[in-house]
Amino acid sequence: MADTPNPIPGMIRGMSVTWKTLFTKPVTVNYPKVKEEPHPRARGVIALDQDACTVCMLCARSCPDWCIYIEGHKEEQEPSKPGGRVRVRAELDRFDIDYALCMYCGICVEVCPFDALFWSPEYEYGEQEMGELLHRKEKLQDWLETVPDAPALES
Amino acid sequence: MLDAQAMAQISETSVAVELETSDMTLNIGPQHPSTHGVLRLVAKVDGEVITDVRPILGYMHRGYEKISEVRTYPQVIALINRIDWTSGYANEIPFVVAAERLMGIEVPERAQWIRLILTEMTRISAHLLFMGSFPLELGATTPLMFALRDRERVLDVLESVTGGRFHPNFNRIGGIKPAAGAGKEQKKLTQDLPAGFFTETEAAMDGVIASTDQLEKLLRKNEIFVARTKGIGVLPPEVALSYGVTGPNLRASGVPYDLRNETDYLPYDQVDFEIPVGTEGDSFDRWWVRLAEIRQSANIVKQAIQKVPSGPLQAKVPKIIKVPKGETYVRAEVPKGVMGYYLVSEGGQGPYRVKIRTASFSNLSMLPWILEGVIVPDLLAVMGSLDFVLGDVDR
Repeated sequence: MADTPNPIPGMIRGMSVTWKTLFTKPVTVNYPKVKEEPHPRARGVIALDQDACTVCMLCARSCPDWCIYIEGHKEEQEPSKPGGRVRVRAELDRFDIDYALCMYCGICVEVCPFDALFWSPEYEYGEQEMGELLHRKEKLQDWLETVPDAPALES
Repeated sequence: MLDAQAMAQISETSVAVELETSDMTLNIGPQHPSTHGVLRLVAKVDGEVITDVRPILGYMHRGYEKISEVRTYPQVIALINRIDWTSGYANEIPFVVAAERLMGIEVPERAQWIRLILTEMTRISAHLLFMGSFPLELGATTPLMFALRDRERVLDVLESVTGGRFHPNFNRIGGIKPAAGAGKEQKKLTQDLPAGFFTETEAAMDGVIASTDQLEKLLRKNEIFVARTKGIGVLPPEVALSYGVTGPNLRASGVPYDLRNETDYLPYDQVDFEIPVGTEGDSFDRWWVRLAEIRQSANIVKQAIQKVPSGPLQAKVPKIIKVPKGETYVRAEVPKGVMGYYLVSEGGQGPYRVKIRTASFSNLSMLPWILEGVIVPDLLAVMGSLDFVLGDVDR
């Protein structure tokens, strides 16, 4: 064909890019061996502080896809002083988050009025079985250790 | 013996008889990897030339308009991130602004400027993805690597602020997210931008501008790229306007229509920027307009960083948001074009009805027009240059 462009200049330009890139440091990291530090605000996994939870169900109700399952019961506590009032405390029986359903919007963390839920930037919890992605309260409690301290802010 | 003239006549006739073939119907998709989602095309092909194309939509329909009626406002904001997944943050803006206008809330200036910065960064990341995917559809893999490298840098800054790379879910009615959720002590305190955000963003923007130069050098004079895009898929301005095409596709046709200049949903009037406009309206212009827009957006972000005032991030809003009865329509310029939300409220905790006007749907509606007469190998080149996202089309 007559109007076929001459490929030689383009090829030379292309190969020069290849040569230049050959001697520059790669921007990627070798993932399983080298890990990049996630941002402290990254929404990786939700951690639960069981002692702070009062089974108020606000998180379960505000979840857009209902992936939080909560069950609890009331327990009477001994009065702290003799003759004091018997207090009723809600005890948490079940707190499950189904990460197969979760869409990581963070509304549950936001609505929690008792600081029981936190975001952790941890991300390595992939499973072979879908059912394993349902994290029980013990597992959610373990995530609490990975919650970073509040980062400094721009004024 | 026949003479040469008769010979030629006979051979011409026989060729004409031979070529009188029936049109072939070619089914493309719905799983074609180059279509940014699942789009099915039924094309009538005469030899290699496409005579008629019928796009069949709906494979990505997720029912956001209907599901919005049974969700509360904060939940809807989390959902509408996913309409156009390449520009999650920009999708939130028109919806949030619509709800704020119905409630009569004045958004603090700092929140507005942060919204502007993050929207422009989303535009850069969406256009950089196009800078990678469009040459890839023409067979060039290097621009993809370069574009994704710098896109990652922009998304990294976005993640450091919002906590999400693709689905930031950072806007709240009345401002931006009050508690980013990280940090044991300060969780319930108002969270601001992380320290070092401005310097990091500025460095990322410099990187983006350098990257656009690199991409331009790679492709602008590349013989194959020019041969496959110049003069192919020409969209005249009057056709573009009649189909309701918006965004870079319309500007490539030479119509300087940009909502950032026309409405006041964000303080764009306080920054200087140009609207890049194409001349021919072909695939090449659509590529060039997006490249120029990345530079403009990077400049907007650099200017906006200097202008962010200090102050609150949230207006005073009740804890349970109820939008008063009324209806409004708010449009915004998202990376793909004009996106609008028609919001009807009956006073409840969630919208009564939401009609979403997405840019990709209108941009795709002129596909039968633009693909008529295009040869099959150019089909993907033209479709790729229109830069639609099927999630945005089907919602």
